[in-house]
Amino acid sequence: MAKSDDCVHILQGLLVFGNVVIGMCGIALTAECIYFVSNPYGAYPLLKATENSDIYAAAWIGIFVGLALFALSILGIIGVIKASRTLLMVYIILMLITFAFEMASCITAATHRDSLTPELFLKQMLERYQKPANNSDNEVTKTWDELMLQNHCCGVQGPSDWQEYTSAFRLTHSDADYPWPRMCCVLDAQGLPVNLDGCKLGVPGYYNSNGCYNAISGPVNTHAWGVAWFGFAILCWTFCVLLGTMFYWSGIEY
Amino acid sequence: RPHSRPRHPGVRTMLPLLLLLLPAAHGIAQLGYRPALSKDPPLGGLRTASTFVVEQPRCVFKDYGNAVIWLVVALEQAASAFNNSAGPGTPETAFQGFPDPVRAYMTLNATLGSYPCPKPDGEITVLRVGSETSCAQDETRPTCNGPLPGPGPYRVKFLALEGSVPVAETAWSVPIMLKEAKSLNSISTTDGGHSADMIAITTILSILFAILLAGLVATLFFWGSDSCGGSGTFSKPESVTVRRYNTHHVYDQPAARL
Repeated sequence: MAKSDDCVHILQGLLVFGNVVIGMCGIALTAECIYFVSNPYGAYPLLKATENSDIYAAAWIGIFVGLALFALSILGIIGVIKASRTLLMVYIILMLITFAFEMASCITAATHRDSLTPELFLKQMLERYQKPANNSDNEVTKTWDELMLQNHCCGVQGPSDWQEYTSAFRLTHSDADYPWPRMCCVLDAQGLPVNLDGCKLGVPGYYNSNGCYNAISGPVNTHAWGVAWFGFAILCWTFCVLLGTMFYWSGIEY
Repeated sequence: RPHSRPRHPGVRTMLPLLLLLLPAAHGIAQLGYRPALSKDPPLGGLRTASTFVVEQPRCVFKDYGNAVIWLVVALEQAASAFNNSAGPGTPETAFQGFPDPVRAYMTLNATLGSYPCPKPDGEITVLRVGSETSCAQDETRPTCNGPLPGPGPYRVKFLALEGSVPVAETAWSVPIMLKEAKSLNSISTTDGGHSADMIAITTILSILFAILLAGLVATLFFWGSDSCGGSGTFSKPESVTVRRYNTHHVYDQPAARL
């Protein structure tokens, strides 16, 4: 009897500890996802303007899953200490539902990150940058200009994007005057090119010769892997805690 | 005795030589320089869809201080047929008629003063062919340096004119091809494939979820089996107080018998 008691107490202790960790991780997940959703310097403006923001659905799910994990962990701790069959069964079922949602969030984040290839950004930029007379395309133009200005970059893979492919920009701007957009030039404090001829010639130092893909993919990768892998880690831990809880539940006499 | 031999033995060979030299005295000097695309520094816009950049002919026309140096741009097939006497600014060499019917046009005129020799270090000395868009359609500007109408190939050379007489020319450059833009519809966006991360996450999480569901089913259908320790279920906190109550009765009974 004493041995069984000790065993029970150890299992209870482990389960309480497991639930405490789940609660803390839930809070961390919520905080991380709120950060991703609200960070104005990340890739969100561009993804939203080009309707690629499904990756943010994963972060939104993460916010609510994190809060649910926190609430359920408290329920779990109470259930384990009181050894109540009903509480624990409710806990297990709700945890499985939360598990399923978090699983969806992780897989969504990973899948959408895979779909954000350089070719996708390139095609959308060529189709919509400086396309006249369309509200959503003005948004795209503004975000690309902002992106190229802040990160001192040009195009997706480089200014040669504008040379290698036809584009909406090329329809309204001649190749001789605008081999690439003016935003690709090094600009002074007033927003005018420091040396327009140098920029058109492509003299190093008067135009931005590197592409913006790194500036975009950096935040997107951080976001996706932050949501996907952290969620994965939480789920692995939750898996162990849930198995232990089921084992504990089957041992409670009724 | 009378002379039967000619006085100057080589007069037969000298005459053709003299005849050859006469045109050369009025002909065009062939300078060994070959115009080429600019090499230093590496330019991002060296060749675009309608412009290209060549080196300035520094230290090439040193002996022709009075001449005006023109750039001749020709379609590759028309290069050898170009007539040096065709004047610049005429309908035969007007940019606005290029490439049909004009097969070679003349532009970018400059005097030797614009190409000082030697070239100072650190300066970028280039000529951008095709940079003037304002006069491309203007018939009154036949020497316009307008954007090239197609991808080429083109050949260029420099021609020095004194008045309207050509005095020196460089060699023709190698054929220059311009860039051709591919259609943006040729960019394939569906090719991504799945990264290893995504496959790992999906598989492992699905397996874990399946095990949990199986565990839940097993727990619900086979409840009541042994737990840790083996000997039956562990008791709830309430049953401890019941046991205490029984103990209380056991102590009471001997007192009652007495």
